[in-house]
Amino acid sequence: MEIFKPKGTIDFMKHRGPIIGVSVLLALCGLLSVFWPGPNYGIDFKGGTEVQLRFKQPIEQGKLRQTLSTAGYDTEVVNVEGRADEYLVRVGAVSSLPAEKVASVKQALNWNISGVKIDELKVSPGGDKITFRMRDEVDPAQIEAALKAADVEVRSVNAFGSSEQHRYEAQLVGLADQMIKSLHDTLGEAAPDEPLRVEWVGPKAGRQLRDAAIKSILWTILFIMGYVAMRFDLRFAPGGIVALMHDALITVLVFVVFQREVNLSTVAALLTILGYSINDTIVIFDRIRENMTRMRDASLYELINVSTTQTLSRSILTSLVTLLSIIPFLIWGTPVIRDFALALVIGMVVGSYSTIYIAAPITEWMDKKLFSRA
Amino acid sequence: MDRGWYLRSGLVLCLLAGSLFVVWPSVDAWLPAPAWIKDRVSSRIAPGLDIKGGLRLTYEVEVDEAIRDRRDRLVDDLLDRLGVEFGTFKQDERPTREQLDVVRARVRVEPVGDRQIRATFKSASDAKKLSLEQIRKFGDLKEESRTETVVTVAIRPDMIDDLRDTAVGQARETIADRIDKLGVRETSVTARGTDIAVEIPGADEASFTRIREIISRTARLEFKVVDDDSDYVSTLAELPAGIERQSEVASAGPENPQRVVTYLVARGEGARQKLAGYVDSLKGKVPEGRELLLGELDESEDVSAGPKPANSAKSWRTYLLHSRADVSGEDVKEAFTAFDQENNRPYVALNFNQKGADKFGQLTGRNVKRRMAIVLDDRVESAPVIQTEIGGGRCQITLGGAASSYNETLQEAKDLVVVLRAGALPAPIRPANEQLIGPSLGADAIEKSALGALLGIALVVGFMLLYYQVAGIVADVAVLLNILFLLALMALFEATLTLPGVAGIALTVGMAVDANVLINERIREELRAGKSARVAVDQGFDRAFWSIFDGQLTTFISGVVLFQYGTGPIKGFAVTLMIGIATSLFTGVFCSRVMFDWIVRGLRVKSLKVG
Repeated sequence: MEIFKPKGTIDFMKHRGPIIGVSVLLALCGLLSVFWPGPNYGIDFKGGTEVQLRFKQPIEQGKLRQTLSTAGYDTEVVNVEGRADEYLVRVGAVSSLPAEKVASVKQALNWNISGVKIDELKVSPGGDKITFRMRDEVDPAQIEAALKAADVEVRSVNAFGSSEQHRYEAQLVGLADQMIKSLHDTLGEAAPDEPLRVEWVGPKAGRQLRDAAIKSILWTILFIMGYVAMRFDLRFAPGGIVALMHDALITVLVFVVFQREVNLSTVAALLTILGYSINDTIVIFDRIRENMTRMRDASLYELINVSTTQTLSRSILTSLVTLLSIIPFLIWGTPVIRDFALALVIGMVVGSYSTIYIAAPITEWMDKKLFSRA
Repeated sequence: MDRGWYLRSGLVLCLLAGSLFVVWPSVDAWLPAPAWIKDRVSSRIAPGLDIKGGLRLTYEVEVDEAIRDRRDRLVDDLLDRLGVEFGTFKQDERPTREQLDVVRARVRVEPVGDRQIRATFKSASDAKKLSLEQIRKFGDLKEESRTETVVTVAIRPDMIDDLRDTAVGQARETIADRIDKLGVRETSVTARGTDIAVEIPGADEASFTRIREIISRTARLEFKVVDDDSDYVSTLAELPAGIERQSEVASAGPENPQRVVTYLVARGEGARQKLAGYVDSLKGKVPEGRELLLGELDESEDVSAGPKPANSAKSWRTYLLHSRADVSGEDVKEAFTAFDQENNRPYVALNFNQKGADKFGQLTGRNVKRRMAIVLDDRVESAPVIQTEIGGGRCQITLGGAASSYNETLQEAKDLVVVLRAGALPAPIRPANEQLIGPSLGADAIEKSALGALLGIALVVGFMLLYYQVAGIVADVAVLLNILFLLALMALFEATLTLPGVAGIALTVGMAVDANVLINERIREELRAGKSARVAVDQGFDRAFWSIFDGQLTTFISGVVLFQYGTGPIKGFAVTLMIGIATSLFTGVFCSRVMFDWIVRGLRVKSLKVG
C-alpha cells in the first residue's frame, strides 16, 4: 500500500511567503499569550491545593461546585472522565488559614492568653501548622482554647524544642479535611470519608518550578542547536531552531486559547516535542545535504523542493504512526495523562508542518542573506 | 547466509531470551514466574508512587536552627580572633583551654537573640581591638552598636538568606544520600521552599518507620572533653523530685587520677524527659564554655542500683562538658561497622581525614588521662578516658548499653554508619506533612493507562502491517523487541515506571517505528530506481542510518534535560523515553537488518514487497 505517491517534484517553496507570515504571526501570538491572557497554570506553577475526591454516590458537577462555593471555597471543579462520582477540586489557597486571618489569630492569642505575649508566629508553607514562640510558659490546652475562640480549627497543640524557648505548634485541620467536613455537613452520607489524594504547592515553590521549567526549555533548545550545528553546518542550525520555537509557541497558544491547564507534565510534553520535532527537520536536512552532492547545479530552492518531496511520505507516515500511539491516551487517559497527550499531539502536528514551511525556507533565506557571496 | 549473519541473529536471539528472563519476574502478578527465575533475577521494574501508591513525607528544615548554629560558631571564632589580638596565642595555632580561659577573663563573648553576638570587654582599650575592620574580616558579620566596652555585632541579613538556602539544599542532599545508603530504591527527595519532600513508593510500614528514623536524625557527631575539674553539679541546690546526685571516681588529668565528681541521675519511666527538662532550666547558669549533656547510664558501673530488674526502663545521667567541640563529624572520612573480638560486639570504626586526624591527635594529646565524650545529637554515647595521644586518625564508637541485644546493637551500628557517611544535617528537621497515596487510585489509573498503551501499540502494529506488509512484519517484530528490551533494561536498572512512563512506552513505540519507516521508504526508493532487492536493502540501511541516529539523539537530549528537571512521575517518563530511544536504535537498525538480510539472502527473494 502506498498513500503518498508524489508525481514529480512538489513546489513547496512557492507559497512560502504568506505561509511563513501566518506562522510567524501565530508564533508571536503564542509568545504574547504567555503574558496576556496568560496560561491557565496548574497548582504546580501557581501554588494551591488539589484534592481528589470520590463520592459514595454520583454527584453532579454543578451541584458540587455550588455546594463548595456556599461553604466559602473558591474552587475549580474538574470531573474525572468516566466517573460520575469522582472529582478534582482545586483551591488557590494552600493553607486552611488565609493570610489575612493570621494577623487576627495573633491578636486573638494575645487577647485570650492573659499576661503572656507572643514573640513570633509562623504558618508552615503547607498551612497545616502554625508555630509560635511565647514569652513564658503556657498550657497547650489554653492555647488550643484561644485558637478555637479565634475560629481556627485545631487538631492539637504541643510544646516542642527546649522548655526555655517556649515554642509551641498547633496542628490545624487541613484544607482537605475541612472541605470534606463541610461536604459532610451539606451532602450527608454521599460525601467521601477521606480524599483519594491531596497535593499542595506553596506559591514560592510554584514560582521556582516555573523558572526551572523555562530554564529547562531554553537548555534543551541550546543543546539541540549545538548538536545540529556540530553534525551539519552552522547554516542549518537557525532554521531548525526557529522551527522548534515555533512548535513550542504554537502549542502554548493552543493551551492558552482553550485554557487547558499548564503544569509539569505539559512542560514535559513540550520538551519531548522539542526533541521530536527537530527529528523531522534533521531528516530533511540530511536529504538536502545528500542531494547537494548529487545535484551540484541546483539552487537551494530546488534542493529543498526535491528533498522535501522525497521525504514527504516518510514525514507524514512517521507523524501519523506516532500520533496513533498517543491518541488512545487522549481518549482514555487519566486527567494528567490526557493533558500530556494533548500537548504531544498538537506539538507533533505543528512539528511536521514547521519542518517543511519554517525550517527549510528559513535556511534558504539565511543562506541567501549570509552566504550568497561566499 | 554468511557467518556474520548467524552471529548477529544469534546475538539477537540471546538478548531476546535474556530479556524474557529478566522481565518475567516484573510481570509476575499477571504471568506467574517460576521460582528459579525469581531467585536468580532480583531486580524488578518499580511501579511509581502514582501507580502503586506510597508514602510522601514532607519535612520542614528548621533553618533558624542553622542560623543559631552559625551564630554559636561565630562566638567561638570571635573569641579565637580576640585571643590572637590580645597576643594570648598565635594565628593558626589551636588554643588550649587554659589560653581560652585567659582570653575569657578579659572579654565575655555571648550570643544575644538569634543573630547577634555581644562582646563585653573589661577594659576600653581591649574593646578597640575589635575594630570595624576586624569585624568585616569575618565576611558575614556587621557591627550593630558600640559603647566604651560593649560591642554588639550581628550576622548580615543577606548572609542569613544564604544560610537558609544552603541549609535546605544541604539537608536535601544529606537525606537523599542517607536513603541511598540505606539501599532503599525508587525514592525521590526534592526541596520546596524550606520543605523537603521524600517520596517512597509502596514500601511496607516497617521500612517506613526505619526510613523516618534515619531521615530525621541530625547525626551531629562531636568530640568534647569532660570537665572533671569544676564539679559544678555539686553546687546545685534543690534538685527536683526523681533526680538524684551521684558521684564517681574519674581521671582528671595525669596529676589528678582519682578525682571524685558528681553527676545527676534519673531513673525509670520518663527519666530522660525529666532530666532533660531540669538541665534545660539550668541554661544560662552553667559556667561559661561548659554544658550539661545527657547520656545513658551504664548500669554495670552503677554501684548504688543493686540487682536491677530485667527490662527496666533505661536510666539517664549527666556529663559536664567543655562545650567547644574541636573535632566533629565533618572531619570523618570513613565510617564502618566492625566487631570487637573480645566480647563479639559490633562497634562503629571511624577514620578521620587529614585535618581531622591532626585535630584529633592534638585534642587527645592535650587531654591525656581525661575523659572524652563522644556526643551524637547532643547525647553522650560514651566517655572513655584518653590513655595516650591517639595518632593516625582512627577512633571507635561503642554502642548500646549492656542491656541491648546483639542484633539491636548491630542495627544501631549500621544506622549510625549510614548517617555518618552521609554527613550531618545542617539543621534539625521536623516532619511537616505526610501523605499516603491510596492504592485504589493507582489501580484505576494503571488500568486506564495500560489500556491506552496497549491500544496505541496495537494501532501502530496494525498500521505498519497494513501499510508495508512484509516489511511491516519486520517493523512490527522490531517494535515488539523494542518494548521487551526497554522493559528488560528498566528491570535491570530497577527504574521506576510511572503513569506518564506508561505513556512514554507507547510514545517510544510510535517514535521507534520512525526508524523502520525511514528504512522502508528508502528501500522503496531504491527499488523504484531499479535496484535489486539485495542492493536496495543494503543501501536503504546505509543511507537511512545517520538520519535515524541524529533524529533519535535529539529526542534523547530532551530526555536528559527532562530527567534533570523533572520530579517523580515526570522523571519516570524521562527514563522510559531515554531507554526506549537507546533500544529503538538497536531494534530498528540492527534487528531489522538481520530480518531483512534473511529475507533477501536466506529466502533469496527477488522482488521485495515493501508495501
